[in-house]
Amino acid sequence: MSEAANGAERELDLGWMDRTGPLETRAEPGKYGLTIADISIGDYGEAPEASDNLTGRPRGAAARPASYRIGAYPVRSKNDIWLDNASFLYEEALQRQWSSATDVPWHTIEPLPDDVEQAECQLATFLTEVEFVAGDVPARWVSLTTPDFYEPRQVLLAQVMDESRHMDVFRKRALANGGGLMQATGATSGFVGSIDLSRDFTEMSSRLHVSGEGSVLTLFRMGELMAQNEAEKVIYRLCAQDEARHVAFGVMHLRYMSETAPERREEIHCYLDEAEGGLIGAANPVGQLTPTSESMAIILGGGKDHFDDGMNKIIAIRRRQLQEYRKRVISAGFGERFENGRSRVAQMIEEAA
Amino acid sequence: MALFPSVDWFDEVRNVFNADERYRGAGGGYCNCVAGFRIAEKVFVLTFDGFECSAAAEGDDGTLDDVDFYLEMPAKAWRDMVANIAANGAADLHHTLNTLDLDREDGLATSKHGDQVREDLFFRYNQTLQFFFDASALVETEFPKE
Repeated sequence: MSEAANGAERELDLGWMDRTGPLETRAEPGKYGLTIADISIGDYGEAPEASDNLTGRPRGAAARPASYRIGAYPVRSKNDIWLDNASFLYEEALQRQWSSATDVPWHTIEPLPDDVEQAECQLATFLTEVEFVAGDVPARWVSLTTPDFYEPRQVLLAQVMDESRHMDVFRKRALANGGGLMQATGATSGFVGSIDLSRDFTEMSSRLHVSGEGSVLTLFRMGELMAQNEAEKVIYRLCAQDEARHVAFGVMHLRYMSETAPERREEIHCYLDEAEGGLIGAANPVGQLTPTSESMAIILGGGKDHFDDGMNKIIAIRRRQLQEYRKRVISAGFGERFENGRSRVAQMIEEAA
Repeated sequence: MALFPSVDWFDEVRNVFNADERYRGAGGGYCNCVAGFRIAEKVFVLTFDGFECSAAAEGDDGTLDDVDFYLEMPAKAWRDMVANIAANGAADLHHTLNTLDLDREDGLATSKHGDQVREDLFFRYNQTLQFFFDASALVETEFPKE
């Protein structure tokens, strides 16, 4: 018996105390604090190969009898989304967050020649545009994934935060120095937009994380190279760090898929065929002449009059971009496509030489 | 006064880097990698573990087989970078690690194993690596006579 606030006596129902996951669990902090790797112990650390959890039940919690479905969760097979280092990537993402408001030395931005400022603003417009897709798409897949695979879900949620910051930091850059947003490039209606048409998580990840973000990683690194001031240096360097983490997610997922679901390898090669098409499309401004690649050439060259110098640098960096893509796909376990003539990347590297 | 390059020099930079909590935020933070540096004929290896650079050691060419990535450029370019950091308190726009990487035809960062996931750690932890070398601005450095 217990006394309620109004003084009346009531019966306690302590039945919930008997409905638990494994008890007497004592996770202990490691040298990096109490990470989700540290709490992956006993049954709590076991992600099922296939999940029938459609009720939002946290992995390891006792099931609630007769509970109704709250999620459709088409992603319920482990190899659909899993990767070996998800918990590590998540903790790294948390630890390496930054603020676009206070960690960027905005005071170092100074007036630039009009053509260079306009080019900076064009690039910032493009990046704001593509980062919308990079945030929207993983957010949707989080909601489609069973809670039993919470580690990769956590990484995707961290990615959404990263992309949100990228959207705002490039918008801030466009508005910070006497320019503004330029015309939308339409990149999101091409390959970048098509990422959101993916019907399978691995299809999405191969397009978004491996091909798309791998290309944007190169763009961010170029942004750091051509920065006109310390603020831009920091913006692009920090965005590149985030992007490299997203790329690692995609490559490690492909690697897991390759090892655990070999029957899907041909399907994955088809996704990579499509993803490689995006490497030469207008969505990749390092790929061919677009308003965005023109703007980068102007910034790299130091103005419209030195456009050719800038374009030569872009071509050199494009070669690096393609070589890095090829090595990531090899690392993921799909290197045979570069040996059997299926991939055009080697030809693209030669053309960029 | 520490001679660049030497384990003593890297140790002094480690002491500055590990003691300054500002390097743990602003895009810094957990960093877990083993990075190699080929400077002239010498090879050095730094181990980053969590918030700290936990070890600096001298190695040889074979040591580079095991690092996640290594940075290689001519001795003069290393010296210019370190001198630039000392003069400005941090790398200027032309001497950051990423800029030096992209500005060089063969790049600055590479590996022997060719695994791009491990090579990508150079990009993933770039701010931490930059913080590390920028910390050298507080180390009195001398260079070998040419």
